[in-house]
Amino acid sequence: MSALSHQTERADRRASSLGLEITLGTAIFGLFVLIALAAPLLAPYDPHAFSGRPLERPSVAHLLGTNDAGQDILSELIYGARISLAVGLGAALGTVALGLLVGAVAGYAGGLLDTLLMRVVDVMLALPRLPLLILLAAFLGSGLVQTMGIISLLFWPATARVIRAQVQTVRQRGYVKMARNFGGGSGYVLRRHILPAIVPLIAFGLVAAAGRAVAMEAGLAFLGLGDPTAKSWGLMMRFALNLPGLLLTDRWLWWLLPPGLCITLLILALTYLGIGLEGRLHPGLKR
Amino acid sequence: MRTRVVAYLVTLWIVLSLNFLLPRLLPGEPLSALLDPESSDYVFSAEVRAALEAYYGLDRPLPAQYFAYLKGAVTGDLGRSIRLNQPVAKLLAAHLPWTLLLTGTALGLASLSGLLGGAEAAWKRGSLADRLLTVTSVVAGNAPVYFVGMMLLIFLGAKLGWLPLAGGRTPFAHYDGPLAAVADVGRHLILPTLTLTLSLLGIQFLLVRNNLVSILGEEFMLVARAKGLRPARLKWNHALRNALLPFVAHLAAHAGLAITGAVFIETLFQYPGMGRLIFEAVGARDYPVIQGVFLVVSAAVLTANLLADWLNGRLDPRLAEEVGR
Repeated sequence: MSALSHQTERADRRASSLGLEITLGTAIFGLFVLIALAAPLLAPYDPHAFSGRPLERPSVAHLLGTNDAGQDILSELIYGARISLAVGLGAALGTVALGLLVGAVAGYAGGLLDTLLMRVVDVMLALPRLPLLILLAAFLGSGLVQTMGIISLLFWPATARVIRAQVQTVRQRGYVKMARNFGGGSGYVLRRHILPAIVPLIAFGLVAAAGRAVAMEAGLAFLGLGDPTAKSWGLMMRFALNLPGLLLTDRWLWWLLPPGLCITLLILALTYLGIGLEGRLHPGLKR
Repeated sequence: MRTRVVAYLVTLWIVLSLNFLLPRLLPGEPLSALLDPESSDYVFSAEVRAALEAYYGLDRPLPAQYFAYLKGAVTGDLGRSIRLNQPVAKLLAAHLPWTLLLTGTALGLASLSGLLGGAEAAWKRGSLADRLLTVTSVVAGNAPVYFVGMMLLIFLGAKLGWLPLAGGRTPFAHYDGPLAAVADVGRHLILPTLTLTLSLLGIQFLLVRNNLVSILGEEFMLVARAKGLRPARLKWNHALRNALLPFVAHLAAHAGLAITGAVFIETLFQYPGMGRLIFEAVGARDYPVIQGVFLVVSAAVLTANLLADWLNGRLDPRLAEEVGR
C-alpha cells in the first residue's frame, strides 16, 4: 500500500464525512422550512386564539397542552418556525449585503479607503456584541424588522473581512491584471472575475450569519427584548420560565423543552451546513 | 505594542461616545433617554420634566454635555439608576464581582480541559473518542447556552435536588463562619459555571484540536520523532506548546463569549451579576444602568484584547517584532 493511495483514501473519507454534515444540516433545515411554509395546514389552532383552558396537560385536543393564556402550544411551536426563519433570512441577507459592500469596496479600492474601512471593522470586532445588541434593542425598539436590522448592523464586519481578503487576492492574480491591461473596466472585472471568486464565500457567509441571527433573535426574545407580539420560540421559553414553580412540575416537558429543542436543532443544522460548506471552500482544511 | 495601546484607547473613546450619542440621536425629547415615556415612572408635569432636564444637564448645549459626560465617565460618575435611585457606579461595583467569579472560573476550567482534551483528541485523531468528543463539542459550543442551562437546571437542580435553583447565595442566611459562607457561594456557583464551561469548552476544544492536528503534520514534529523523543515529550513539549499561541490569541474573543453567555446564564439562574443587572434594567427601561453595563463590559473585553496581544508577543518573539513596528 503506497503512501499516496493511503492519502487519497483519507481524503475520500473526509469528503464523505463532509457530505454527511451537509446532508444532515440540509435535511433538518429543509424540514423547518417546510414546517414554516405549511404552518397554517399543520397547526391545529390559531396560535393567538384562546383554544383551551389555561395550563392544560397534553391531550388529544392539545397534543402539547396549552400555555398560561390557554393557547395551543403545538400551534405556537409550528408558527414559531416562521419567525426564527424569517429573522434568520432577513438578518443573513442584511449582514452579507453590508459585508459584501464594505469588503468588496475595501479590497478593490485599496489605499486610504481600505485602511479606513478596515479600522472600522477592527473596532466593531473588538466590541462585545451582546451588550451592544441589548443597548441598541433597548433604544431602537423591538419589532422584528428592528431585530433584523440591529443584527445586520452588528455582524457584517466578519463577512467584510473575509470578502476583502479574497477580493484582494483575486485582484493580484495574473489573469485579472491581464484583463485590466487589455482595457477591462472596473465593472467588467468585478462582474466577470471577482464575483465568481467570492460566490462560495457569500454562500458560507449567509449560512453562518443565519445561524447567528437565529440564535440572537431567540436570545433577545428570551431576555425580553424581542417583538412581544411575535410568538417566537425564545418568547415561548421566556413565558414558560415566568410561571412560578415551572420546574417543580413536569409542565416544562411540553412547554419549555419543545421550543428549546427546536431552536437548538435549527442552530445546529445551520452550524453543520456551515462546517460542510467551509470544508468545501478549503479542501485542505483538516477537521 | 504602542500602536496597539493607541488603538485600544481610540476604541475605548468610540465606546464612550457611542454611549453618549445613541440616546441623543433618537427622536423624542432628551429625557426619554433616561425615562421611557411608556414606563410607570414617567412624569407628565412639564415643570417637573424641565426641572429634571436641568438636573441632568440636558438643557445645556451638546458639546458641554459631552465634556461633562466624559469627565463623569473618567471619574467614575455614570449617573443614577432611575429604577433604584442609586449611583450606577455603585450598582456596577456590587454586581461586577459575581460576574468575574462566574466567567473567571468557567474560562479557567474550560481552558484547562480544552487544552488537555484537545491535545488528547488530536493525538488520537480519527479514533472513536476523538470523533465523539468533536461532535459533542460542536453541539455544546453551538447550542444556545440558556437551553443547556435549562437542562442542567431541570435535571441536576429540580429533579435530583442536588443543587440550588437560583441566586448567588442563600437569602437571609446566617453563616457560622467564613468557611460556611464560601461553601454556600460555591454551591450556588456550580450550575451556572458548569453551563458556561460546557459552552466555552466546546469552542476551545475544537480550536486546540484542529490546530494541533495541523501541527502534528509539520516537519519539525517529524524531526522530533526521528530523534527518538518519548511520545509524552512530543505531545506536550513540542506540539501543545505551539498550539498555545493561537489559543492565547483567541482568549480575548473567548472572554467576550463568556460575557455573552453570562448574560443569559445569570438571567436564567437569577445570579446577581452584571447580566442580571442589565436584564432587570432592560425590563424597567432603566437606560443609565444599561449604558453603564455596556461601558464596563466593553472596557473589560477591550482590556482583555490588549492583554492577549501583549501576552502573545511575549510568547512569540516574531509577533512582538511585528507589533512593535
